[in-house]
Amino acid sequence: MKKLFAVALGVLTAIGGFVDIGDLVTNAVVGARFGMSLAWVVVVGVVGICLFAQMSGRVAAVSGRATFEIIRERLGPRVGGANLVASFLVTMLTLTAEIGGIALALELASSVERRLWIPFAGLAVWLVLWRVKFSVLENAAGLLGLALVVFAVALFQLGPDWDELVRQVTHPSVPPDEAAPTYWYYAVALFGAAMTPYEVFFFSSGAREERWTVEDLSTSRANVLVGFPLGGLLSLAIAACATVVLLPRGIEVTSLSQITLPVALAGGKFLLALVILGIVAATFGAALETALSTGYTLAQFFGWSWGKYRRPAEAARFHTAMLVAVVVGTLVLLTNVDPVAVTEYSVVFSAIALPLTYLPILVVANDPEYMGEHVNGRATNALGLGYLVVIVVASLAAIPLMVATGAGG
Amino acid sequence: MSPRLRRAERASTPEEPLPAPPRPAGRVLDARLHLLDRQVVDADGAPVAVVDDLELEPLVTAADDGSAGTADGVPTLVVTHLLSGPVLLTRVLTGRPPHSRWHRIAWRHVSDVGTVLRLGLQGDALDVLWIERWLREHVVGRIPGGRRAPE
Amino acid sequence: MLLSDLLDARVLDADGRALGFVVDVRLVLDAPPGGLDGAAPLATPRVHALLVSPRTGTSFLGYERTSTNAPALVARYLRHRHRGTFLVHWTDVAAPTASTITLRPTWTPWSPTLPLPLP
Repeated sequence: MKKLFAVALGVLTAIGGFVDIGDLVTNAVVGARFGMSLAWVVVVGVVGICLFAQMSGRVAAVSGRATFEIIRERLGPRVGGANLVASFLVTMLTLTAEIGGIALALELASSVERRLWIPFAGLAVWLVLWRVKFSVLENAAGLLGLALVVFAVALFQLGPDWDELVRQVTHPSVPPDEAAPTYWYYAVALFGAAMTPYEVFFFSSGAREERWTVEDLSTSRANVLVGFPLGGLLSLAIAACATVVLLPRGIEVTSLSQITLPVALAGGKFLLALVILGIVAATFGAALETALSTGYTLAQFFGWSWGKYRRPAEAARFHTAMLVAVVVGTLVLLTNVDPVAVTEYSVVFSAIALPLTYLPILVVANDPEYMGEHVNGRATNALGLGYLVVIVVASLAAIPLMVATGAGG
Repeated sequence: MSPRLRRAERASTPEEPLPAPPRPAGRVLDARLHLLDRQVVDADGAPVAVVDDLELEPLVTAADDGSAGTADGVPTLVVTHLLSGPVLLTRVLTGRPPHSRWHRIAWRHVSDVGTVLRLGLQGDALDVLWIERWLREHVVGRIPGGRRAPE
Repeated sequence: MLLSDLLDARVLDADGRALGFVVDVRLVLDAPPGGLDGAAPLATPRVHALLVSPRTGTSFLGYERTSTNAPALVARYLRHRHRGTFLVHWTDVAAPTASTITLRPTWTPWSPTLPLPLP
């Protein structure tokens, strides 16, 4: 019974934790402009993140080494250092977007200007990082984030034309009023939103935080293989809501109030309050994860002592780095940048940085010196190599597409 | 960028499979593959540093009269210290920081070589952790709750 | 001397022709252990041989020296890039200078494969 409870908790946490501000914004933007014709990208992205989260969790559990420690060992300081700079910058950008997301959601709830919420959000994130235990942090944010299920509820309440939605999913095509490069640009963005690099750093470092051993692998596999696809369904629900409500009216998504409009239409104030709670929880959880990931990447590359399981005094450089990251993110937001725009850039840059993270994981998962008998099977390797090709193509295509389409404009 | 030989410069190298060398009587490690960029942990398993470079010195034996080394050529070199710290920059760029900035960990403190290098002593005994100690005293320790375990 | 002085150094044979670059240094733990009365847990590593690659200046992931074969495409590509890597004993080295290593006239190349661990 206790085992079942643990598995259920893990699955629910994974669902609630899957969606962050990047998924929220990108899926809504795509739904409002392209309908469901990019849904296949979400499917591809979910399978990919399941594959690599599983691999990195297995590597961390069996070898006791987290992702960035391995990146430095296997790629050397030059390539590993370049990797660090790229991954750190992308994670910083994502952290800034998430803190901005918290402030946006609070602004929507209270009509108090978001700039007043930003320092509050940053301080709250840091306080939780400072004092709250890792497992409590994970579970609370994940469970509250389940409130986002309201998007699926709203979709049913809106009574859409299901045949039309299904047709758009299964027969994707570029809508008549959009250009093909724009379609592919948003495909890359959606892919980056689903397969964010910080997810992998966080998952493998989390495996070390919770002291996973080989026995814990089956639980983690259940969490990932059940939780992430359900989280992916949530993303699709967000896109579908935008397709049903925003697309026919030609409303483009530039702020959080447009993303939540379908929910407000479907269920009034009650559902709207729930969805805002869900957004605050999901972005807060993601802010914690990205802040921890900035600490993990730096500490693991330079060999500092790290981890929430240690007292802050025993991981001084790790906590100082995270403090600085949260402060910098907050300061950037206070310069009045548009958090939605920051989010859109963060997902595209995530897609660009992906190959750097995934190649070392794939290589180490095959190395018997680290993995003993738990090296990848042939099916996993075939899938992993296939995804590596897709990831490299997406990464190379991102900048040209960004330039060609003016960042999706 | 890593250096490269142009095709015209290359002497012809043997193409047929090379014979295996006589097996040395001791554990074999390749420096770049097994030692460089590896995590060093102390006796409690706490991370200490990453190996950024190794210090090599001529072997000095008991019966030494100043001519240590093989027949008439290059002296036998041994690894005396693991190096960490600013030395990392010399591997990425060129140039070298002065001797005094290198943080040394003597090889005799290493008790095990695996996917990490384990030392036989505690981290506090090493000067490579001075930044960590400084931050602990002056920053993290000063903020309330820094010394207690998280709840 | 630092290890990084040896890594990526040019290797010349006795006639001055370029043979490649040092990609790694093979150490053997058989020198007397340090510490008081030689009580250190591990023997001191001695520089035993150099691994020289004719083509590139860095080894990548060590695929050319181990028998790890997966992932197949990555392993095959990297082995191909490093073909021709050979081992040269330190006793065959004549004179290391600032950035080049010159070999004696009597040097012989050996296979670079790592010996399997002792049973």
